Amino acid sequence: MDESELHALVDGELTPQRRRELEDYLSQHKEDAALVENWRRQNAALRAAFEPVAKETPPLSLRNTAARIAAFGAPPIESGAVHWGRPSSSFRPLRRLNEPRDARTRKALIAAAAVLLAAASIGATFMIILPRLPTPRAPSHAQTTTHGYVERAELAYATFAQDTHPVDYDAAHKPEMLAALLERIGFAFAPDLSVAGLRLIGGRLTPGLQRPAGFLIYEAIGGERVALYFEPVEEEPRELVPPRTDQNLTAIEWRGEGIAFVLLGPLAGDRLQAAAERAAYEIATPARDEGSGR
Amino acid sequence: MGQREDWSLRLEAVTPALRRFARALCVSSGAAAADDLVQTAIDRAAVRARRREFRDADAAPIAAYEILISLAREKVSTGGDHRAAPREPALLRALADLPFEERAALLLVVLEGFAYDAAAAILHAPREAVVMRLMRARAALAPLDLHPSAPQDGVRRAAHLRVVK
Repeated sequence: MDESELHALVDGELTPQRRRELEDYLSQHKEDAALVENWRRQNAALRAAFEPVAKETPPLSLRNTAARIAAFGAPPIESGAVHWGRPSSSFRPLRRLNEPRDARTRKALIAAAAVLLAAASIGATFMIILPRLPTPRAPSHAQTTTHGYVERAELAYATFAQDTHPVDYDAAHKPEMLAALLERIGFAFAPDLSVAGLRLIGGRLTPGLQRPAGFLIYEAIGGERVALYFEPVEEEPRELVPPRTDQNLTAIEWRGEGIAFVLLGPLAGDRLQAAAERAAYEIATPARDEGSGR
Repeated sequence: MGQREDWSLRLEAVTPALRRFARALCVSSGAAAADDLVQTAIDRAAVRARRREFRDADAAPIAAYEILISLAREKVSTGGDHRAAPREPALLRALADLPFEERAALLLVVLEGFAYDAAAAILHAPREAVVMRLMRARAALAPLDLHPSAPQDGVRRAAHLRVVK
């Protein structure tokens, strides 16, 4: 089999007829099938790595470039500065050059006016309402608990994951770590995620929402760090955290045995999902009896 | 006028993709440098389009890719490229370590979805050469092991796991 044909298969360069033939061939030849699978994974990883850039709104200067040149022609000077020597029968093009700036100024003025108005109305409201209100209360319990394990986990991730000293206990001291976490948190378990391609680096105690929480760090073969955060929950959440998107981190949250778990890391959703399923399975499985010692 | 607006709209529409491509092509020199190249590429493509150098509006985005690549190539050959920080993910490091032409071929096909013929036209290289570069690039990235994810047997799919982010 010509290797370039396998590449053509991955890149969709084959006729449907030839593609079917190759797929039949691959089902018989595991080694070539593995190659193709590896390239497909590369493709997915590359796209995942750079897709966020295409999703961003480009900077203003980039968005305007083509339109500006369409309207005014090449910038006479590379810097894009106004070239006063440009032959022109009227000042209209210059006025048009100023348009974006004028528009910005107008927008800024409107925004400033809106802010002043808002501040004034808030001030007035407070002056009228405040005296009638009972003394301000601390934020209610529900407010602080229903949102937030993911945020806590992210904070811990941002703090520790890339640190030169990310963990207090490394993997070699797992029994000590689990004993320490058990004592402070009332729960400790470090699932073995090697089947999901994650190797335990170690763990530490981290501030949780209401009490100390556990924070374990794993490393993927690609070097990405994935963290498992867990904190005991007193009550079931009434409201679930709505899905959010972030350019780098994927987070998966679940509950079990009265503990909130969050697994997060810069991996693709399905990969992290697989790791989370593995972790949930290990935590829930009766083999946990030996777990506290592992 | 209509024609003019046409190419300008095409360039605008392709800007996000150009940025993605530039970011990956200049993976070791950072976002700002990549955006600078995109700016220059769009500038020059627009100037050429305005001079009616292209037969149709679709040629403008293709020219922008060509210009972007030659700018980046110049930059690499003058050594304006610095090494990726060791903390960057392995994939990005490996991408940065690829020879420039291999990286360009790989990214045109994989990231930008160009057919082999289109990529060859953009790179001003024979189709076979582009395929060879692509093959070498993939071979270089192969050891990365970008990873298994098949759930192990015995693990039932847990319906209570939610991706919240």
